[in-house]
Amino acid sequence: MPAASRSNRHLGVAAEPTSPPGDDELLQRVARGDDAAFGALYDSLGSSVYGLARRVIRDPARAEEVAQEVFLQVWQTAARFDPARGRAKSWVLTLAHRRAVDAVRRDQSATNRERTYDWTPGPDHDVVDETVSLRLEHEQVRRCMEGLTELQHEAITLAYFQGYTYAETAEVLGANTSTIKTRMRDGLVRLRDCMGVES
Amino acid sequence: MTTDIHHLLAPYVLDALEPDERNVFEAHLAQCELCRSELGGFAETASRIGGAQAETPPPELRDRLMAMAATTPQERPVVTAMAQRSRLRRALPRIAVAAAAVVAAVSIAGFVNEHQKADDLRAERDEMVAVLTSSDAAMSVDASTGGASVRVISSPSHDAAVVVGTSLRALRSDQVYQLWTVHDGRTTSAGVMGRGPGMMLVDGIKGVDALAVTVEPKGGSKTPTSDPILSASI
Repeated sequence: MPAASRSNRHLGVAAEPTSPPGDDELLQRVARGDDAAFGALYDSLGSSVYGLARRVIRDPARAEEVAQEVFLQVWQTAARFDPARGRAKSWVLTLAHRRAVDAVRRDQSATNRERTYDWTPGPDHDVVDETVSLRLEHEQVRRCMEGLTELQHEAITLAYFQGYTYAETAEVLGANTSTIKTRMRDGLVRLRDCMGVES
Repeated sequence: MTTDIHHLLAPYVLDALEPDERNVFEAHLAQCELCRSELGGFAETASRIGGAQAETPPPELRDRLMAMAATTPQERPVVTAMAQRSRLRRALPRIAVAAAAVVAAVSIAGFVNEHQKADDLRAERDEMVAVLTSSDAAMSVDASTGGASVRVISSPSHDAAVVVGTSLRALRSDQVYQLWTVHDGRTTSAGVMGRGPGMMLVDGIKGVDALAVTVEPKGGSKTPTSDPILSASI
């Protein structure tokens, strides 16, 4: 902000406004045992990790346990993160999703797993104090999901949010497994391109 | 089954594989540069879907985590992680060389044989994929004291196994790895694996007790001329 830097210069503080460290930088600091960076990383990603766990597991107490396991794993294994292979947020959410799916598969037998696959558009925005750029990113995800065909949408949603295997997804949707694998693939390709993710 | 194993990438990214399949696919991923090149974009896409579910966690969680971090030791894998990466980096050119060698073998085989050979290779690859993705695929790992290891993924229903040697060191140009099946104490050649990391299909595993790998002179031998560097029971 020009006004801020002007007053900074006036006070003799370095004129270059230093932007707060991003998630990648924070995670690399966590790898070096930096507690404060761990707290800051939690503040940045905690709501995404908890929200994803809630979406997959539904039970709030269980989701909280999983979110705790995820962040403890992040603390312990941060040195494995390689920024050349993707964003810190992606790394953490990949860990979170796998743990959430493993938990839901352990907890629920196939018979009592809920057979719904509606795409509820996530919690209301006022639940989470989001930055503008995050809000835009989340709106983009919703818009891109709406651009999928019905079968792509259902296949991805059942697998990703219900923790179904592709074989279970195929059974629920009454399609054969190779069709489901293909729909997952072309659905992901369409989402990737819609979100402008580098392939 | 005629499924291409590449089609498991999307279910893998969505965590929609059974645990066994996940292991098999990860073994494949270590070999498949094409899969790895697509993995990043797919994983980023999936994590954005996940990230859009943000919901404020209970406030106690932060305090608990900070307290846990204060008393939990961290892995010290910087050395390991870098060593693994550099091992992989060293292995990649060898895999590329092996792939190039296969291509060269096909192209110098001559015009007449070319199509037949290409069809054979394609058929072999298809059968490997069928074994790797079969529902009864079972995996065993054998490691030698020297650090080399092979993974054997066997499928009784296909009467075949795939041997994955990711950590085999590159041999001199006059040596090859040769694979043997052991059946009632009799040793039979299952073919020459090449001079470095690679994958190989073994047809006919019924009654086979174990697989063994030896280092042989270029071209392979009729019977093993050295002690096995590795053996894996099926």
